Amino acid sequence: MDMLHDQLVNRVELSNISKSFGGVAALKDVTLKALPGEIHALMGENGAGKSTLMKILSGAHQKDGGRIAIDGEEVHIKNTHDSKKLGIGIIYQEFSLVPELSVAENVFLNRLSEHGVWMKWNSLKKEAAELIQSIGFNINPSAKVANLSIAQQQIVEIAKALSEKVKVLILDEPSAVLGPNEVQKLFDILLKLKKEGVTIIYISHHLSEIFQIADRVTVLKDGKSSESLNVAETDRDAIIKLMLGRSLDAMFPPRKPVIGNEVLRVEHIQSDKVKDVSLTVKAGEVLGIAGLVGSGRTEVVRAIFAADKKQKGSVFLHGRKVRLRNPHQAVEKGIGMVPEDRKQQGVILSLSIKQNISLANLAGVTGKLGFIRSNKESAHVQQLIKKLLIKTQHEDIPAGQLSGGNQQKVVLAKWFNRDCHVIIIDEPTRGVDVGAKTEIYNLINELAGRGVAILVISSETAELMGICDRILVMRDGQVHGELEKHEFTEEHILRYAIGADRQPLSTN
Amino acid sequence: MKSSLKRTIHFIIKHNTIIIFLLMLVLSALASNAFFTPNNLANLIRQVAPVGIISMGMLLVILTGGIDLSVGSIVAMIGVLCALFTQSMSLPLAIVASLLAGIVVGSISGYLVSVQKMAPFIATLALMTIVRGLGFIFSKGAPVMVADSASALTDFGSGSLLGIPNPAIILFLVFGITAVLLKYNIYGRILIAIGSNEEAVRLSGIKVPVYKFSVYAIIGGLAAISGMIGTARTGVGSPNIGIGLELDVIAAVVIGGTSLMGGKGSALNTFLGVLILGMIGNIMNLMDIASYSQQVIKGLIIILAVLLQRFQEK
Repeated sequence: MDMLHDQLVNRVELSNISKSFGGVAALKDVTLKALPGEIHALMGENGAGKSTLMKILSGAHQKDGGRIAIDGEEVHIKNTHDSKKLGIGIIYQEFSLVPELSVAENVFLNRLSEHGVWMKWNSLKKEAAELIQSIGFNINPSAKVANLSIAQQQIVEIAKALSEKVKVLILDEPSAVLGPNEVQKLFDILLKLKKEGVTIIYISHHLSEIFQIADRVTVLKDGKSSESLNVAETDRDAIIKLMLGRSLDAMFPPRKPVIGNEVLRVEHIQSDKVKDVSLTVKAGEVLGIAGLVGSGRTEVVRAIFAADKKQKGSVFLHGRKVRLRNPHQAVEKGIGMVPEDRKQQGVILSLSIKQNISLANLAGVTGKLGFIRSNKESAHVQQLIKKLLIKTQHEDIPAGQLSGGNQQKVVLAKWFNRDCHVIIIDEPTRGVDVGAKTEIYNLINELAGRGVAILVISSETAELMGICDRILVMRDGQVHGELEKHEFTEEHILRYAIGADRQPLSTN
Repeated sequence: MKSSLKRTIHFIIKHNTIIIFLLMLVLSALASNAFFTPNNLANLIRQVAPVGIISMGMLLVILTGGIDLSVGSIVAMIGVLCALFTQSMSLPLAIVASLLAGIVVGSISGYLVSVQKMAPFIATLALMTIVRGLGFIFSKGAPVMVADSASALTDFGSGSLLGIPNPAIILFLVFGITAVLLKYNIYGRILIAIGSNEEAVRLSGIKVPVYKFSVYAIIGGLAAISGMIGTARTGVGSPNIGIGLELDVIAAVVIGGTSLMGGKGSALNTFLGVLILGMIGNIMNLMDIASYSQQVIKGLIIILAVLLQRFQEK
């Protein structure tokens, strides 16, 4: 490989790329080179800059500095149109499909106008079907995308990328939503493309996949790139060390749980995506829920918090049954939730830090007739800003100007501001830099220390293992495994999450 | 030099509503000697009172991300009802009943929007035609006279206090209360938060439907007050007044820099928006310009105001 590398011209060459958002450096001096027909894995923790780097290559973001070359020639990619012309295709983590349109329309969405203003339905459908078959799948081209499974949508997304001649295909965590059989099929497609000379940049944080498919791997950590390693010459430990840069122990604060009586008990709840889940959380306990995207883990906590309608089941607080019909009632009973999607559901970006923090406890800052006691509010909020180490000049600054980690602390502060018995935290550190992660873990520990029952959902298995006392693993809307602290291993959790407790996990 | 120019532009964009207002004042004074006379100013403020009173309610509705198209119809229906009520009950009772009727109509919109999750545009469009129709039904299609026994009502309508017309006093009151609510009260803060990110507010444990309901009830009540003022001024309740009034109200709110997406707006700027809109009509009347041109200029000013706000966001 290395010898080859010296002779051939790189298909993709990213040199010394840098990028910052609002003064926060997302990428510093990142370099990545890949040959034609190479599968190059890009690894790193959430927030390490993987997606940002790929968005620069695909023209969704602009680099601040550095050089991009395709087939040895420097290129300037100003928008997604430029990257398409260069033959760069990207499949994002969040799909860019139009749910209400058919499979065929989605596959050719970018090119619908190429054949005149009238839709040629027959040829459109035929071509889409052929394209999907050519990658080894069978999906009705007339089906509405909204009615497909997530895995099928992924296939459509790939077909869409391949509908144009690509030289470089970027896949951003494609396997996160796929079952083991589907992952294998995806790999078959990728190997076929590799043979055709397509360069594939494969973002993932599943180590086993990297060893199965990739030629080389580059690790990003805190926006900096490692040397590219030949996969055949490296091992898991070497990659993990590059990803973390330090041992896991240093990242997660030590935890001496003092676990009390049962606070929350949920029996047989069902909602749209939840089929019969029961669980209990005790005072001072941190319970984790693991599972793949789409496993129903978020829907469980949303049903508990009454953010979604639950169809069946009961919720007990301190052993007493409570009827929660909306989030207002849940909050009144002492439940707080930090939702999954911070920008859409957690913080109000245009409002000040102060207004955000007060929102969950307005009664605490108002006097007669709902008039705001301004001094009291400011003092109160300043105290929380100090306590939660929110980095800001002033409490009146809009929350949108804060970094992801500080925004997340603002959402946490909302519930610190109330006397909660149960706090649900969905993805505590998504898009949060490493330093702030540890601070958030400390805050979770502190809440648990006060006797709050805590329910944490995370896509990062290591995070759950580092902060939880017990972990439930969900799949298909049900709990499939319960692990005590001494049973925590990534393999164990993954096995339950992908259903490998029934079928053997592919060896590597 | 360059930076001071930049700062000036920034200042103009940031305070565009008040600058347009002052500009209009100067232009008006230059255009006609009759503008800055006590009589004309009193006239101006009396004319804008109905739109102004409702605009404060519309501001609240738009802050939550909604809209209310039914207010012109409510003005007409309540104008008719108020006149009818004076014929069969005492004046205080007639006023209370008219006010309640307006609140009821607004509450129906509020129910459709907050509980049934209907799009505000559609819900209030439906109410706009229903209520317009009801006005004609109640009045049997003809103007209804205020009973002689209720002369206090018409006296109030044409009267003034310390030279300020009574309808204007009501406008100032409504403006003051709205300004205080938005700035110092939790109610205003919650409305703005709902318009900014309804889901985040809901997940903070706030009863969003209650607040969304309330703004429609309030604007219904304010439209009723405007309807009664109209009847008080003319002595008749007429079912075909207030057609297109909702558009003037929305225009005033928009000129005042309020975002139709919700979450951004102020009472003072809305008030200035009302005055700007009123001045366009007033000065053109003084200059004998046909009302057709007035409409064109009104539209241009709306475009200008919104364009300036776009710069502000950047």
